[in-house]
Amino acid sequence: MRRLFPSPEALRRRAPFSRWDLLVIPGVLALLALLTLALEGATAPYAPTSPDLTVSLDPVHLPYYGLRSLFRMLAALLLSLLFTFTYATAAAKLPRAEKVLIPLLDFLQSLPILGFLTATTGIFLGLFRGSLFGLEAASIFAIFTSQVWNMAFSFYTSLRTVPKELQEAAAMLRLSSWQRFWKLEVPFAMPGLVWNAMMSVSGGWFFVVASEVISVVGRERDQYLPGVGAYVALAIERADFRAMLYAGLTLFVLVLLYDQLLFRPVVAWAEKFKFEQSAPEETAQSWVLTLLQRARLTRRIARLPQPLWEWLWRQSARKNRPGAALEPPPRLRSRTRRADLAFNLAVMLGALGLLGVLLGYLFGPGLGFGGGQMLQPNPNLNPAFSPAIARRFAGLGIRPDPDQAVWLSRLCAATQGGTVLEEGLKMLLREPGVKAPPDLKQACQKPLAPEGRVAWPEALEVLRLGLFTALRVTLVVLLATLFWLPLGVYIGLRPRLARFVQPLAQFGAAFPANLLFPLFVVAIVHFRLNPEVWVSPLMVLGAQWYILFNAVAGAAAIPNDLKEAARLYGLRGGLAWRRLLLPAMFPALVTGGITASGGTWNASIVAEVVRWGDTTLVATGLGAYIARWSTGAFNPHVGLGMLAMGLLVLAYNRLLWRPLYRLAEERFRLD
Amino acid sequence: MTTAQTLLEAKELSKTFTTPEGKPFTVLDGINLTLREGEIVALLGRSGSGKSTLLRCLSGLIRPSAGEVRYRGQEVPGPMPGMAMVFQSFALFPWLSVQQNVELGLEAMGIPAPERRQRALEALELIGLDGFEKAFPKELSGGMRQRVGFARALVTRPEVLFMDEPFSALDVLTAETLREELLEIWHAQRMPLKAILLVTHNIEEAVLLAHRILVLSSNPGRIRAEVPVPLDHPRDREDPAFQGLVEQVYRILTAKPALEPPQEPIGIGYRLPKAPIEGLVSLLERVAEGPDFGREDLPRLAEEMRLEVDDLFPLLDAAELLGLAVLQEGDIRLSAEGLRFIQANPEGRRQILAERLLLHVPLLAHIHRVLHTRPSGQAPEERFLRELEDYMSAEDAEGVLAIATDWGRYAGLFEYDYNRGVLMREPVPG
Ligand SMILES: Nc1ncnc2c1ncn2[C@@H]1O[C@H](COP(=O)(O)OP(=O)(O)O)[C@@H](O)[C@H]1O
Ligand SMILES: [Mg+2]
Repeated sequence: MRRLFPSPEALRRRAPFSRWDLLVIPGVLALLALLTLALEGATAPYAPTSPDLTVSLDPVHLPYYGLRSLFRMLAALLLSLLFTFTYATAAAKLPRAEKVLIPLLDFLQSLPILGFLTATTGIFLGLFRGSLFGLEAASIFAIFTSQVWNMAFSFYTSLRTVPKELQEAAAMLRLSSWQRFWKLEVPFAMPGLVWNAMMSVSGGWFFVVASEVISVVGRERDQYLPGVGAYVALAIERADFRAMLYAGLTLFVLVLLYDQLLFRPVVAWAEKFKFEQSAPEETAQSWVLTLLQRARLTRRIARLPQPLWEWLWRQSARKNRPGAALEPPPRLRSRTRRADLAFNLAVMLGALGLLGVLLGYLFGPGLGFGGGQMLQPNPNLNPAFSPAIARRFAGLGIRPDPDQAVWLSRLCAATQGGTVLEEGLKMLLREPGVKAPPDLKQACQKPLAPEGRVAWPEALEVLRLGLFTALRVTLVVLLATLFWLPLGVYIGLRPRLARFVQPLAQFGAAFPANLLFPLFVVAIVHFRLNPEVWVSPLMVLGAQWYILFNAVAGAAAIPNDLKEAARLYGLRGGLAWRRLLLPAMFPALVTGGITASGGTWNASIVAEVVRWGDTTLVATGLGAYIARWSTGAFNPHVGLGMLAMGLLVLAYNRLLWRPLYRLAEERFRLD
Repeated sequence: MTTAQTLLEAKELSKTFTTPEGKPFTVLDGINLTLREGEIVALLGRSGSGKSTLLRCLSGLIRPSAGEVRYRGQEVPGPMPGMAMVFQSFALFPWLSVQQNVELGLEAMGIPAPERRQRALEALELIGLDGFEKAFPKELSGGMRQRVGFARALVTRPEVLFMDEPFSALDVLTAETLREELLEIWHAQRMPLKAILLVTHNIEEAVLLAHRILVLSSNPGRIRAEVPVPLDHPRDREDPAFQGLVEQVYRILTAKPALEPPQEPIGIGYRLPKAPIEGLVSLLERVAEGPDFGREDLPRLAEEMRLEVDDLFPLLDAAELLGLAVLQEGDIRLSAEGLRFIQANPEGRRQILAERLLLHVPLLAHIHRVLHTRPSGQAPEERFLRELEDYMSAEDAEGVLAIATDWGRYAGLFEYDYNRGVLMREPVPG
């Protein structure tokens, strides 16, 4: 039945713009202008003679700093998306690729994020020689690493769990791979991807603040990139409370802007991709999305690439060719098996080779042994990498490394095995910043590791430090759970309250917790608390929110009939917790716990060494170890620290979280 | 009819899957069938007999392990142009509007956008969905969604339409309406549609729609019988010829396959019928109380108890397996044991059932023995699942163990702790 009357919209003459465009057009122009401004700053020239300190504490600069930080965040997010789409797709689609790519992703994900900053600064400076963009790229890369892994994982998981019926429908319709990707796989993955991107960006603010101050080889001082993070770092160095307040305010506004201008609209838009059979009662709303959808300009812009898209679309179509079956024909299988074997062998050999190279890098050519003996640690006598101390050593004929490290072996060589010490050297060794072994003669007699390399006893020590950190992580996550769980349940069982609290908790997760660290330093110093214990809460400061909002979500998701039944049977108090709440919320708790512990591990690098002005508190742990060795260049010590943390986190997840997760999946699912 | 051209043909088709333990198990074995122009063919069989698997092999979605499928004389490497499918679960893309869903098949054909739109609107109109172009599937009722499913399949102007239980997710009235509309479209000849292959477990549906019914046996699936339906559309359910055909199909489905030795002893890996114990008990009660005292006509029983073949046959199988009833000529008759069971009090029923289970179901005898030889009197369900997976897929193993657990608990043979996934001799403490 053809419509007899055209709809009223068709009759109305279409102006090229609607009144919504009055808001949208200036908005788009302003965005473009800001983007140019940020890009200009990011690509300024950079030379060895450029000033270190490009940041000032004057709050008038804060909007600009905010813009630059925001720009980094955005760039990192775009990169993450690009990586996610390629890497996860390759892992899910290429035959056998998954066997390498997924464990690799798992390992990369457990490496400490700030380690990447140290590891890549040199590379990026070399890549963008003469431009500030080298530093900028290092910072962006660190933020990228904080966001990308779980986005890639989420996308990969979605690709692997596309419902069978839809796969069959797509195959039956003979969609091409390109068409299937955009019409089936990407839409199906969208809600998970958006959610994970949102979580990632929340975590990303923490690293924006932590990655704008970068040490560079050959520069005595750290390099400050214009940004809120650098501003915060300077304020901490100068112990300026007022500046911290300004910075906090700026970050508050930034997180708010990001949320309102980017994520709310995207979340509201992604609602339609939810794979559910019935219409949900309420859906996410965003005024920005509404605005964009009503404005004609944006719709025009959105329609610009349409012809190209349509062309690609039709090019990729199968037209009259048969479609692809969902499984390969049986003939191919035996051939596949042989190829599988060859592939596994190649992967194993490759992994062994890599391991060899890695160990060679960490321990030097003898892999930690020399002359049939196990080599002993060759410590750095200038652990703070202080240029002043390094200069004094140099004055006494003991040459420091470019990054100011002074190796014991050089001292031994210059003093004939620690026997001949002139007076100046003796005095220098007694300075508070210098860490020399008490019995120099004896220390020099042992076979020392090559300069800059690690030794096996040190590897053991690092593992011990790692266990300390693991203990801290476990304890604080447990404490945070004990604290937030009852609150989360209280809120989650009251839908109206939950709707109000949920965005607040999300906001809390996004607000970079490192801003609050100085408060703790002041308190710890003031009350003479033991830093070994009292810096621990800092580690979970940023991650605790995941526990809260997963608890809220878990409690809110308890089906009504279960709650009714519990009420009917008079389930109350401890029994209600054991029989209803905990089992019903277990999956959400595990999810929250996994996210929170990951965040806590990552925060340990920043949290085990905290400063305020001249005060520095250090707690024993792997985070502090990595932080101490993070000078400008990547070195075997940072490598060892990252490796140890990576392995520990991997083991932690395998041994603790995975069994819990499986339990949650199998026993406690509510559907 | 006999001179009509062959559209689709399967020769000696078999399909084998592998169990999680890596052992093969055969789902389809030596299937030969042809689909000719101008006919609607129904594939009928019990749940798990491999109907869907056969349909997927024929449509090119999956590849047979042996034998071949030819479409218009060409081997089928994947879904061919000219094929379309309607799914039981509709399989609509929830993020696409009704119109976009319908256009999808045209996109794969590389048809330009304006023509796509035009043809999609025509298909929607044909199927009675005009006005709903912009709606999303989740806003629609089940019947409307399946209409979209039909529109999406028909818009590509297929020659063969595959349907996998297209009406079984719909309520009775909607299903009836859609069936009638399908026949209307079929007879209107507005489409190049030449043949329909319909999978169903509903005997009446098969007799209502099909020109030929192929009855599949289970484990492994073979074509057991072919029933021609020489009636004109629209068919009348009250027509004696119609009822005769329904009766005939019931007989085929309840007959013992002549090929296999009927008394073949069953082992641990026997696929227990999915018959929940309450269902079994109420079926037996109904037969005992019925007008014929211990004997009942199956079509009538199905209708009165509102059971579809998929639910009814597992119950019948279970009753027969336990020796509580006998199936004959499309009728069910209670055995002496069955009568004793029905007349007993709850405790007596428990005991009779326990006896029967240990005698006739090796899996339950095995579980019972294991639990009684272990000092702890407990065993994790995983243990038995692993054993079952020697014979069947993980999914089927879970299904079989679930049924065994249901029966064993009712008979008081053992207890089951869901939270720990443990079977135990003694009742759960506390
Ligand atoms: N992809 C698969 N892998 C393993 N087993 C399968 C697969 N698909 C179907 N089966 C098994 O094949 C048998 C027949 O299934 P199916 O064709 O769905 O039966 P029906 O449609 O007649 O109910 C079942 O035992 C099922 O578990
Ligand atoms: Mg089926």
